[in-house]
Amino acid sequence: MFFGKKKKKKSLIGRIIRAFLGIYAGLFCVFFFDLDGKLLYYVVEPFMKNHFDNMERRDPHTVPYDLIDTEYMQKK
Amino acid sequence: MRDLKHLIYFEDLLQEANNDLVRKGKEDGNLCLGYTCYFMPEVLLDLPGCFSVRLRAPKCTSPDMATYYMSGRTCHYGRSLLERALEGGYNFIDAQLATETCTVTCRFQEHLDYMDGVINNATFKTSFTDVPFKKNENSIDHYRKQLKIKVLDFLKDEYGVDTSDEAILKAIEINNEVNDIITEIGNFRKLDRPTITGYEFSVITLVSMVCPKYLIVDKLRETLEELKTREPDDKPNYKIKVLLAGSENDDPDFIKLIEGCGALVVADRYCYGSLEARNHINIEPGDDPLTAVAKHYLLTSQCARFMEQKEMRHRKKVLADYATEYKADGIIVASNKFCEYWSYERMIDTIVLPRDYGFPVCSIEKEYINTASGQLRTRFQAFVESVELKKIQEGK
Amino acid sequence: MKKPDLKKLKEVNFKKAAKDFVYGKPHGERRLGDLYIPKTGLYKHREWRGIKDTMYYFNNIWLYNYGMIVRDLMVYGGGPKGAVQFLKGTWRYRWMGQTYLTVLHWFDRCLEGMRGETLAASAWHFRGIVSACLYQITGFFNRDANIGGDLALRAKTLGTDETVWGGIIYPYMDQGAMYLPTQMIPYFVTCHCNNHTVLNYIDAAQAYGLPGDPCPMCQAEAGIFIEDDVPDSYVAVVTTNEACDGSVGTSVIQDWMMNKPLFAMPQVMQFDDDTVLENCAKEIEMAWRFTEEQLGVEFHWDELVKHIKLQNQQNQFEREKWDVAANTHSYPINGVAQALYRIFYSQYGERPFWHDVDKKVRKIMEKCVNEDINTFPMTRHRVIAWSCAPLYYSAWCTWAYNCWGLNTIINMDSLMFDLDIRTDTYENCLLDIAKYHEWAPMRRMAVGGLQHIFELWENMEKFNCDMVMMYDQLQCKGMQGVVGLFEDEFRARNIHAIWMPHALPDKRTVPRSQIRQIINDYMFTVMGEEPLDPSLLDFDDSDSW
Repeated sequence: MFFGKKKKKKSLIGRIIRAFLGIYAGLFCVFFFDLDGKLLYYVVEPFMKNHFDNMERRDPHTVPYDLIDTEYMQKK
Repeated sequence: MRDLKHLIYFEDLLQEANNDLVRKGKEDGNLCLGYTCYFMPEVLLDLPGCFSVRLRAPKCTSPDMATYYMSGRTCHYGRSLLERALEGGYNFIDAQLATETCTVTCRFQEHLDYMDGVINNATFKTSFTDVPFKKNENSIDHYRKQLKIKVLDFLKDEYGVDTSDEAILKAIEINNEVNDIITEIGNFRKLDRPTITGYEFSVITLVSMVCPKYLIVDKLRETLEELKTREPDDKPNYKIKVLLAGSENDDPDFIKLIEGCGALVVADRYCYGSLEARNHINIEPGDDPLTAVAKHYLLTSQCARFMEQKEMRHRKKVLADYATEYKADGIIVASNKFCEYWSYERMIDTIVLPRDYGFPVCSIEKEYINTASGQLRTRFQAFVESVELKKIQEGK
Repeated sequence: MKKPDLKKLKEVNFKKAAKDFVYGKPHGERRLGDLYIPKTGLYKHREWRGIKDTMYYFNNIWLYNYGMIVRDLMVYGGGPKGAVQFLKGTWRYRWMGQTYLTVLHWFDRCLEGMRGETLAASAWHFRGIVSACLYQITGFFNRDANIGGDLALRAKTLGTDETVWGGIIYPYMDQGAMYLPTQMIPYFVTCHCNNHTVLNYIDAAQAYGLPGDPCPMCQAEAGIFIEDDVPDSYVAVVTTNEACDGSVGTSVIQDWMMNKPLFAMPQVMQFDDDTVLENCAKEIEMAWRFTEEQLGVEFHWDELVKHIKLQNQQNQFEREKWDVAANTHSYPINGVAQALYRIFYSQYGERPFWHDVDKKVRKIMEKCVNEDINTFPMTRHRVIAWSCAPLYYSAWCTWAYNCWGLNTIINMDSLMFDLDIRTDTYENCLLDIAKYHEWAPMRRMAVGGLQHIFELWENMEKFNCDMVMMYDQLQCKGMQGVVGLFEDEFRARNIHAIWMPHALPDKRTVPRSQIRQIINDYMFTVMGEEPLDPSLLDFDDSDSW
């Protein structure tokens, strides 16, 4: 029983270490091969650009141009 | 309409900066003081023993040397002035009273200060005045202080000019005489059928800025008398009346071009125009003459560089009010290429004036000297036609 | 399967390859240009800088900064609610959603080829800049009425033109007041990080009727308001004349589009004159009264003094840095990091994150000096960069060092705010604050008289520079107005000066490749030199960030 627990604990730590190393190695690959840049450049930015290009915006011609007679406008 | 008696004489005076009257003024022993901007109060340069000349560079179409110094990407006006200076065309000025009110004319004046011998005149010096961007009490105080140090003290210390209150009062008196004459002449433009053309008026206004006033005032007065009895043509040779607004313009031929397209220019809200430059200078009770001058030039100006919120917004209304007062059918907003103030102002005017005040606007960009008149003529003709059509549709 | 070419394998110098793997290739053998994917500016793979520096870059820069971005968002944003606001803002504003996500590539471009202490110290500067950006981004989004932000916070927030110095808010910081420069994050920093988005704003201004010739920076600053792409996060605005006619025009457009209470606090142009200080000081006082009236706060002198003292510390450290840059070969900060960090903190004002960075950098710099480390060992020329820089290619300094050994020691903007503000009396403090405003970027040198713009000569001497990179902002009227005088002076003084044409944020006018070509031509033909890294001479990064 005792040995089994120790073994289990060891394997858990091992798994955590392996997972950590795996994630670390994976992140290093992302870093080294500029995968973050490639994702942003080829996928994220075109998607966002398309979204912003098609966004409905206020027509600037409709913005009022009030004359101000007091020193400052009333608090809005 | 009958030709104005002195028009050809006035036109001749505008052919070069160092004209006959400037030479006469110098021969009379006066100091000739150059300036480029409304914010340099010409009245202070017309103190006894001095006369002011607002600098122009007539017929300068190709400022090659100045383009080396200021590149081809700056205002043609500023470059033309530098070109004329490099050619020796301003050797007659004894001092330049400079302002940093728009970048390129300021740079031109800095060149005069920096480059040895560009003005071949042993007495030549430059003094720079800072001009505020607001019209509050603080600005008036600051402006007054600047005028005192940078103009009056400069003239007194460097040239021995009398800068006393009495001297300033005398200069105000002479200026007011000219201002009143020009204003009265300008009022003929408010008639239903104006008895003076925009071209004639711009020539008259300009000579009052580039000649010693004491040498031109008689001819101006005579012209005013002449206009009092001048009859308009039976059949007007224009189709619409317009207000011309915008940046620097000292080229009467530009106005001739507009009028040749059927638009009579009845009001002139641009640099070198008469509105507000030829307003009567009032001295309020309790103000000394210098304070009155500072207040006058700061408070009357509708320059696009004022930044207070109220001023920024209000000046569109001022333009619309002028258009109404002078019975204009539309507004032409013309900015010089590379003039940043008026690039923005023109953009806003083009949207706000039709939308909020109902005035059609023709928005154009021009050069200092307009050699490419064909394109402009097409624009103006199209504008005149559109306004005419509008008038017909409205049954006017 | 293709058989390995044993002949080629035999030619490989394994000892050298192992050395390169461990220590990185020496400058001159790196061929950094081969790493780029054409057009994109992306890397086939990021640079191998040797084990130590590559792992430093991976752990302490790349991973660390991604992590710290999340941390800053949570801390400055105030927890999960702030994160939600951040997502909403990212979806609402182009300058956020399309621009700032690419921030780590900005690091890459600016830190290419850097090693050891130089890599570390320069990267810390960028860390400070990113932190300051996130402080403002979360500040914008948490208060933004457009995306359901907190209106109570908004009521305590002042929007300003970006060249209104952040110290304007110092007296009110203990009362929860915040200052948000309306263009700094939505426009200015975006151009450095990802220059794609700013083009939309320039086009918007021109589509609205603005001619193409005014300063493109001012155009973009107008366009961002025309496009309705500035958060509604403040109740009132303080604007200024920045440095030029175009910025005044921009203020008119901004006022229209914002349609809020606005106080204009313009600064004098002919500032080098004691007779003008009083005017500036009074305008600043009026701006304070406006702030108090609009935000419902009181003037706290002690709070002002506290922040100014801290700011003075920053400025004093800056001078120590300059001393090292000028007199040793151990200055560990590259040209782009120096320029951006200095202008950002001096303009935005004192905040804790700057001090954290300064502590780290001080440690690194002291090590470099004590150990006499030559931080830019391949320096052939010590360069001073003058006038206003191309925002879309601020990383040119990094390229120029890698390609030609041109080491940018200092630049004009960095030298602007060199003033310790007195705190002994209110009057002295106010006058110094006025002067500080007058000494803002561009206002001090690009306009307002020639005397300051020609401080170039004494700074060349002070920083021991032998070459000038003369920025030529094609649409800056103030600087275009003096090109001939500079040419004359360069000739008369026999100075090597390279004119670098550009249009501030707009890469379409003068592409980056053209800038490189101009430098290449000068180095080949006038200097008669050969590049350190020929792969960097010509490459296509036309569509890169």
